[in-house]
Amino acid sequence: MQRSELFEMFQRMATEIAEKDFSGVTQDSNIQELGLDSLSTLELVGAMERELGVQIPDEQLVGIQTVRQLLELVEKRMA
Amino acid sequence: MAPEPQTLVEALYRLPDGEERGFRFLGLDRKERYYPYAAMRAEAERRAAFLAAAGLEKGDRVALLLPENHEFVLSFLGASVGGFVPVPMYPQATFKAVDAYLDILAHIVEASDARALVCMEQNRDVVEKLAGRPELEGREILFAPECFEGAPPPFERPAIGPDDLCFLQFTSGSTSKPKGVMVTHGNLVANATAFLGPHGLNRTPDDVGVSWLPLFHDMGLIGFVLGTLIVDLPVVLMPTAHFARMPRMWLELITKHRGTITYAPNFAYQLVTKRVRDKDLAELDLSTLRVAGCGAEPIRAKTLLEFADRFSACGFSPKALLPSYGMAESCLAITFHPREEEMVVDRVDPAAMRDGIAAPAAEGATDALEIVGCGVPFPGHELRIVDEQGETLEDRRVGEIVARGPSVTPGYFRNPEATAAGLRDGWLHTGDLGYTVDGSVYICGRIKDLIIIKGANHYPQDLEWAVGELEGVRRGNVCAFSVVRDGTEELVVMAEANRADAERLRKQIAETIFADFGLQVADVVISPVGTLPKTSSGKHQRRKTQQLYERGELASHTAVGSA
Repeated sequence: MQRSELFEMFQRMATEIAEKDFSGVTQDSNIQELGLDSLSTLELVGAMERELGVQIPDEQLVGIQTVRQLLELVEKRMA
Repeated sequence: MAPEPQTLVEALYRLPDGEERGFRFLGLDRKERYYPYAAMRAEAERRAAFLAAAGLEKGDRVALLLPENHEFVLSFLGASVGGFVPVPMYPQATFKAVDAYLDILAHIVEASDARALVCMEQNRDVVEKLAGRPELEGREILFAPECFEGAPPPFERPAIGPDDLCFLQFTSGSTSKPKGVMVTHGNLVANATAFLGPHGLNRTPDDVGVSWLPLFHDMGLIGFVLGTLIVDLPVVLMPTAHFARMPRMWLELITKHRGTITYAPNFAYQLVTKRVRDKDLAELDLSTLRVAGCGAEPIRAKTLLEFADRFSACGFSPKALLPSYGMAESCLAITFHPREEEMVVDRVDPAAMRDGIAAPAAEGATDALEIVGCGVPFPGHELRIVDEQGETLEDRRVGEIVARGPSVTPGYFRNPEATAAGLRDGWLHTGDLGYTVDGSVYICGRIKDLIIIKGANHYPQDLEWAVGELEGVRRGNVCAFSVVRDGTEELVVMAEANRADAERLRKQIAETIFADFGLQVADVVISPVGTLPKTSSGKHQRRKTQQLYERGELASHTAVGSA
């Protein structure tokens, strides 16, 4: 899967969870600045895990702040 | 029936043998592990022996930083059997600043003077950083389950009595560093037999508890591990991490295991009401649930009624809703709404409330405040409402809630100042404001958070809930507090929202507060999401927010934009 597809998935799922438009965000956006608190972000991680068939343990999420960091972590777990 | 056990350990040794009854753990690794009581007891004994061999002596504290629930429970019980004092700690910090998390852990280790720390391979990164702190010097660090493998060294169980310390519950204070509430075996047994006994949930042999609550907090730990063990009530525990990733798993687990008792804070009921889709309702069966308890944070009538309404299609009975009131200083609970009776919502007049009187609102009043009844104290426990002089107030007068009884802690560990402030003449001063009606208690908020403007009392919760209804405001992420300027108390409201909504919300929030409460807001701060200070259990810290505001350190979209 391409990074751009993964990013689109992020935008689609974030829109569902936070009920707002994520089309204007970039990969360098800070996740919490986008209107996702830690509980919503965990929900988003859960949705990506199910869609992609991966598992991302909580301890790997320590210090993750930007969309790019999160997507890189997802890719690492898919590899 | 045999007399009640005196200690957790005695209760553990009384639990029936056999395969039928025990604890079921869903792991972070998604595996299911079933431990019949006898297996839990045997493993606890082994762990006690290993802990003793690591140098622990009776009464020594042992900090637990264990993300897997079964590892946590077995290590906790091992410490108990050995006569050691477990100190549960918050095991993960996702999306948070690592240093702030380490500060809290180091503080707890030092304040509890824990001789050893038990953790797991999966949090080795955090533990290694923690180990470098001066507070950790000379303390043993053990990794479970490896440290409990092999043949256990010889070990003799010490005698343990009701006055012995069972564990330390560190409370996430809103103003200060966490303090260690001492919970004795006697406190624990008294509370467990009260809240699960005939005047509480009235445990039956067919009950099954289902919980996702974190075990470093009293509601999960006492409510679904220690209390349930004391009265022999089998439970199914799932990781909080799984609930966070997919909230509906909570209800699926109740369906699968025919759960009869569950508990959660207000926000969780709100979340699942929103998240479960119509097509999922058919898969859920909540008809077995006879208790859906709510506590640990302010309870909003609207949230619980919406939950009951949404899930009536799944057989959920509104009579299962059970608001309750308690605090770590009283183990877990001190009052319960009577089971199998519909929730009571008191509609009070907002104008009278500003003078500290909970007068019933006029019939059909649209501005009434809705306050949920949290029930009556357990037998052997007392609760009073007092004024500033400590005089008991009559019904419907708002004052501080004070309580006493066998569940109440002897104090804070090695902290005589905090103990003297919190416990006076045997009464626990809760710091909560409330009132009674015919013995039942209604909670208004924290004394320290009360906003007094022009002599009228305002409860920040009411203002925050009103603001939280506005579009674009993050649910639960609003903080109302007051600051003193030129000797006058003024209202400040902080809300988390997107930058794009900031300008509109600043105006709308001020309008809403004026329309609903007749109050002028001196300042509205719109902050980036994730910046509102919160405790480890997700409650927001009004005092800390106020301090940040006064120091000009509260993050705001304007400040960020102009930088």
